[in-house]
Amino acid sequence: MPAQLGLAAVAFVSPQNYPILIRALSSPSDDLLKYHYLAHTSLDVIDERIAAAPKNAESYLGFLYAMEEVAVYGYVTPLKVKIVVAFALTDAVIRDADVIAVFKAFHLAYYRSVANPFLKLHVPLDTPSEHGTLLLAGSAQWRGFRRRVDEVARAAGALPVVNA
Amino acid sequence: MNSYPPELLAQLAPVMFVAGLDAPDAVPGTPVAPTPSTPSSTPLRVAQDHFLVLTQRLREVLAAQRKPAIWQPDKAKTFQVVLVDKEVRFPPRKVPPPSDQPQAAASPHSPLSPLTPTSPLYPDGLIAPIWVRKHTALLPSVFVLFIRLFEAPPHLLPRSPLDPPHPDRENEERRKDAEMSAEIALRKKTTNERGIKLTVVLIASRKMLDDPALDTRLTFIRRQSGLDYRAALFVLSPVSPSELSEFVKSLQQALYEPAVEYYTSHSKRVRRKRNRHAQATSAYMGPISPLGSSSIARPLRPEGWTVRYEYKMACFAEFRGEDEVALKHYQDAYSTLLVMFGSTAILPPRTKRWAEAKVLADCINIKICKLYLYNNEHSLALSQHTIHIRRFSDFSRGWGIGDETFEYWSWIARQYRVFGELLEQGTRSTLKLPVHAPARAPDLAASATLPTGLSELDAMRVLGLNPASALQHPGFYYYMAAGATEKRRERFLGTLEVIDLKNIPVPPGFGNEKKVDHLAIVLELYTKSYELFKTHSVVSNGQGQGRLTLRIAYRIAQTYYASGKFDMAVRFFERIARTYRREKWGVMLKPLLATWYACAQQLGDVELSVRLLVEMLGHGPTDDADDDGAMQEDLLAVLKSTVPSKPDEPLMVDLSESEPIFDSSIVFWKSEASVNERVAFQVTLTAPRSVELSALSFASLALYFSTTEQPVIIRHSTEPPSSAGTTQKVDLGEIAPGGGDASANLRWEKGAMIIFTGTLSSAMPTTLSVVRGALTLKEGNWTIEIPVISSAQREGDIAAPRWLTSVDPVRFIPLHRTNYSEVAVGHRPHQLHVDVSHQGPAYLDEEYPINIAITNSDDRQLDLDLDVLLQPTEIDEAINDIRIDDERSSSLIKGVSLGTVAPGVTAVKTLYLRNTGAPGDRILDISIQSHAPSDGVSDEPSSPSSPSSHLADTSELLRTLAIPTVDAIKTVYDVNYVHTKNPLPGLTDLRTYDSGYWDDGQGGEAVIKVKFECAGPWGLSVEKVRLVRKNGPHAKVIDCSLDEDEDEVASEWLSGDEFAAVCRVSISTEDDAEDDDAIAGPGEYELTWRRILANGDHGPLSTTRFPLPLLQPPRHTLVALLSLPASAKLHVPMHAKLTVRNHHPTRTATLSVLLEPDGNDAFLVAGLRSGRVPTLLPGAEAQLVWTLVPVECGFVRIPRIRVLDKRRVAPAPVAADGSPAPVDEEEMEIAIIDVRREKLPGRSKTGGEELADGAGAVGPIGPVLVLPR
Repeated sequence: MPAQLGLAAVAFVSPQNYPILIRALSSPSDDLLKYHYLAHTSLDVIDERIAAAPKNAESYLGFLYAMEEVAVYGYVTPLKVKIVVAFALTDAVIRDADVIAVFKAFHLAYYRSVANPFLKLHVPLDTPSEHGTLLLAGSAQWRGFRRRVDEVARAAGALPVVNA
Repeated sequence: MNSYPPELLAQLAPVMFVAGLDAPDAVPGTPVAPTPSTPSSTPLRVAQDHFLVLTQRLREVLAAQRKPAIWQPDKAKTFQVVLVDKEVRFPPRKVPPPSDQPQAAASPHSPLSPLTPTSPLYPDGLIAPIWVRKHTALLPSVFVLFIRLFEAPPHLLPRSPLDPPHPDRENEERRKDAEMSAEIALRKKTTNERGIKLTVVLIASRKMLDDPALDTRLTFIRRQSGLDYRAALFVLSPVSPSELSEFVKSLQQALYEPAVEYYTSHSKRVRRKRNRHAQATSAYMGPISPLGSSSIARPLRPEGWTVRYEYKMACFAEFRGEDEVALKHYQDAYSTLLVMFGSTAILPPRTKRWAEAKVLADCINIKICKLYLYNNEHSLALSQHTIHIRRFSDFSRGWGIGDETFEYWSWIARQYRVFGELLEQGTRSTLKLPVHAPARAPDLAASATLPTGLSELDAMRVLGLNPASALQHPGFYYYMAAGATEKRRERFLGTLEVIDLKNIPVPPGFGNEKKVDHLAIVLELYTKSYELFKTHSVVSNGQGQGRLTLRIAYRIAQTYYASGKFDMAVRFFERIARTYRREKWGVMLKPLLATWYACAQQLGDVELSVRLLVEMLGHGPTDDADDDGAMQEDLLAVLKSTVPSKPDEPLMVDLSESEPIFDSSIVFWKSEASVNERVAFQVTLTAPRSVELSALSFASLALYFSTTEQPVIIRHSTEPPSSAGTTQKVDLGEIAPGGGDASANLRWEKGAMIIFTGTLSSAMPTTLSVVRGALTLKEGNWTIEIPVISSAQREGDIAAPRWLTSVDPVRFIPLHRTNYSEVAVGHRPHQLHVDVSHQGPAYLDEEYPINIAITNSDDRQLDLDLDVLLQPTEIDEAINDIRIDDERSSSLIKGVSLGTVAPGVTAVKTLYLRNTGAPGDRILDISIQSHAPSDGVSDEPSSPSSPSSHLADTSELLRTLAIPTVDAIKTVYDVNYVHTKNPLPGLTDLRTYDSGYWDDGQGGEAVIKVKFECAGPWGLSVEKVRLVRKNGPHAKVIDCSLDEDEDEVASEWLSGDEFAAVCRVSISTEDDAEDDDAIAGPGEYELTWRRILANGDHGPLSTTRFPLPLLQPPRHTLVALLSLPASAKLHVPMHAKLTVRNHHPTRTATLSVLLEPDGNDAFLVAGLRSGRVPTLLPGAEAQLVWTLVPVECGFVRIPRIRVLDKRRVAPAPVAADGSPAPVDEEEMEIAIIDVRREKLPGRSKTGGEELADGAGAVGPIGPVLVLPR
């Protein structure tokens, strides 16, 4: 995992563009609402990129835009879950390889959390698609997802290591 | 950009002064004095008009060459044209220094120099916009003078080319030209002083151009006025506009080089000065006054001079169009400026010079950005901009105007705005914004091994980008400017507060700041940003509006709210909320709703307030409001204090798109039910845990069911709930089609749950569900209807269906079903019992009865129909059919009505199946459709257009039968062949040519034995067995064992019984028959029989036919048949006849016959002992007869007789001595057939070889029984 990337926030958005989890990662964590807006607005650029890209393009969508002191990067999983990461805007080159590593880690965190079979314990059988459970993974009652996301953030240097 | 002097920002271009194109009808009093442009004041009217038009057009074309603009990267050789008066004066070059200035007494200075006391820059100014204006408006690089060439009036012109020129004309011309030359020479003098190129354009009529005297005149004028030889004198006549623009183009082309030279010489001059200055720096350092005496005017410091000179050189380079050079000089000027700002000693803050320098720095920054952008160096441009902001932010902190002041934010906003404006101008013309999509994977892979040739910067670009220097579209920068302006307003308001409170000294600029309408600026910036985002967004979210624009729209709405334009804000909120609701971004919706509600309050729109409050109840409390009962109180307060606009009508609140207030769940106990069956349901309404609702006085709850026209109304009753917990159960009982009434306590505590239970039924097939529910809230004059059951789920909330089994304690059981919220009601299935009986296996050729008995076990009468499908089989030669009553088919019998069957009654139908071909299984599909007779309650007039089978009360029963089928009778044939006993016809026998002649000489006879066996498990009553003759051309039945007693064979055959018959067939083969030719059997056995049923009855009459087998008689060549009597009397002579036949089609036969008597013989023989039979031609026969006298009794054998066929073997090759080789003879013995015992098998199918004569199946010659006399 690269050293200081200035990871500020991460957002997971479902294929239907519903928010799954939006988490501010910088310490001290500042306005969560701002990251909600950033995640929501970046969907525009993500849609644009996906529309412009050829089929079976890479998941990594690269730099989306910079606004309000953060640079927003996008990633879309093969199942169209969008991951948006905000980095604090510094005057330094952010290596794509580092960003991809962060995204892959977040993707894995998401994937592991959704794989939790207990998510579906109280879910009716006729849920039209998976997305209900996806949203559930981000809800407050399931802490595993947050924990995994925080672990990634810690590894990326955004959060202090707990037992250090 | 308006906040900066335009001179410092505009793109510079070479300046061309154009004189002599004054509009002739210029109004007196304009700055340019109207002077007669041409000496010819009384020319022809028409010509004058031509020239007027020309002048006008020239003015237009020239002025259109270049408009002053900031973004103008094109390098076409165009000039900034300034139309001036002919007599225009240039500004003074140098003024001598006043005597009281000892410092710079050495040389005169420009009036704009800091060294000139009258200059605005005196004594320490850097550079002023006026200097740029001097070079753009007051001093040209080229001067173009348009002059009308004198043309003699017509009366002086020669009548014809032959006439001599008029003497007056020549004199007049010479005089006028001399005058004009003097005028030009005067102008030439002033321009030469400045190094400005002077070009004269003579305007003459078209006719003049053809005048032979023109060249002489032009040479005269040039010489007289001292004009250059190159590009200094043009002649123009009135031409079309396109030609005119061509002319202007070529004029500029010609003059561009002198213009560049002009600016180059300026640059050189400035560079000389700078170099001289740099050497002399030490001399200037001395007399600088110490820091304390800042009030005393100090001369410009060396850094200042550097900035000044670099800036000038940059400008001159820009004039020349040398962007690279200009950029370099601007950067030098900028960096030196930064040095100056770094020290408060050099530039004390908040002084006039400091402010000027700041403006200059900002403008240079813009110029640098622009020049980078011209070159598509996006990141460099943006980093220049970012660095500028960062450096000056640092400086600002030092100057005491850090980010806590409105001044700072005002400046930040200005920077972003100017940058945004620059980009906007750029994108409107040539600037292409970069796309920041990531590099493709191969690029990334390639970057792992970087080529050494790449510079580090390039390498980094390959690996990733610096977001801080990723250029985005101008909307972003307007957005940032707006954000900065908002902060500016915040700081301003903060300062205002502090000033009012503590009465501290007013910060500088506060007076001006007070006049600023911050919100208007914010609004303007956001609106610009909004528009730019809209133009730059490619994808919209289906509504024609991107989310980015919505975000900005939200900021606009907030600004409207802040500036008190609530109606505008509300319009924005309405639109934005729609997308946020749909995409379930509740966190963003909450503050929006709060602001919206505040707007509605301000507007006094109570209904909107109520709607919003109800929606906010659904979203739960905002994060900052910790009092969760606040919304409830707000709502109650609004309701109590206001009156609705239409008090009679309930206010419907539509929550279909937003979050519901109550979590609702509808659960049915069963998912399928029959008509009129009562199905239990539970409707649960759960109040949220986070919102207080207990004070809301819900008056009633209406539940709408799919089956009832009227809702069930549950009214609020004040009686305390039945149980103490938060879970209440309200039993509604059976829901009647007309709706109903009930009462319950409709107050919800936090997280409380009320479960409405009841049963529902339908008389018709349908789907039962709860369509909707609505809570009615009554407070004061208000009646508000809030839908409570909606398809919309709370964000991230998926409730598992569960069924309340007990209230105290509260217990649920989960329902693991897919469709739990609705019930499909269908007709009861018909109770039918189908019994299919038959006595298998079926026999082939039999009409096999299958009994189908359908018993109506239902309590209704049912109409029954029967379909039977016989599946096609793959069995060979199987032709099967089925029959019901009179209907017969080989595949499908459809719609056999069994009529209306009363309950308990059985309808029976017999299906007959007839099978032929080979044994095997036959498959039958039987379908019984039942439908209730259409009368009574269910006779609803369903819409005829859609005959829905769903509503028709029908059902179908299917049975599939496999009928094993076996042979009733098996047959085994045994065929033997004998030679004919008739003599062969002679070769020349004419009878053989008769049409009816039957030649059995070759074929002989076949003896066919047949054995019938009763093979099936059931006995047969055989009524008749007979051979049906079908004599053919090659075979005919001679006789049959059944011929006499075909009727007497009637008998019962039990399983395993056998029956035999034999018949003889005469065969007449073709002469040239092929080996594998077979002859069809000339008839078939026909058995007529009935099955003996289990009860002893006989089944229907069936007929089975067995054709005679194929006949393949053996082939012969030479045959010897011995005919002997079966018995003889002792001592009575008897005859032995030997018939020798040559059946070979082509060869003759030479046979010798030997009779070999033996001492033991029981016979005395009279006849041939040894001899040759005459040669037998093909198809001929010979007979030999012996007379034998038996001398012994008993079974005795006759003497041995041999028949030898002697044939020459193929002749051997001729011997060497010529004598014929001895002939080899081969003897072949021919077996003798005893005709009494003859029994030949047929040819095997595959056997191609002819039987050896008599070989194989020929037994020994039988004995003769000799009896005593």
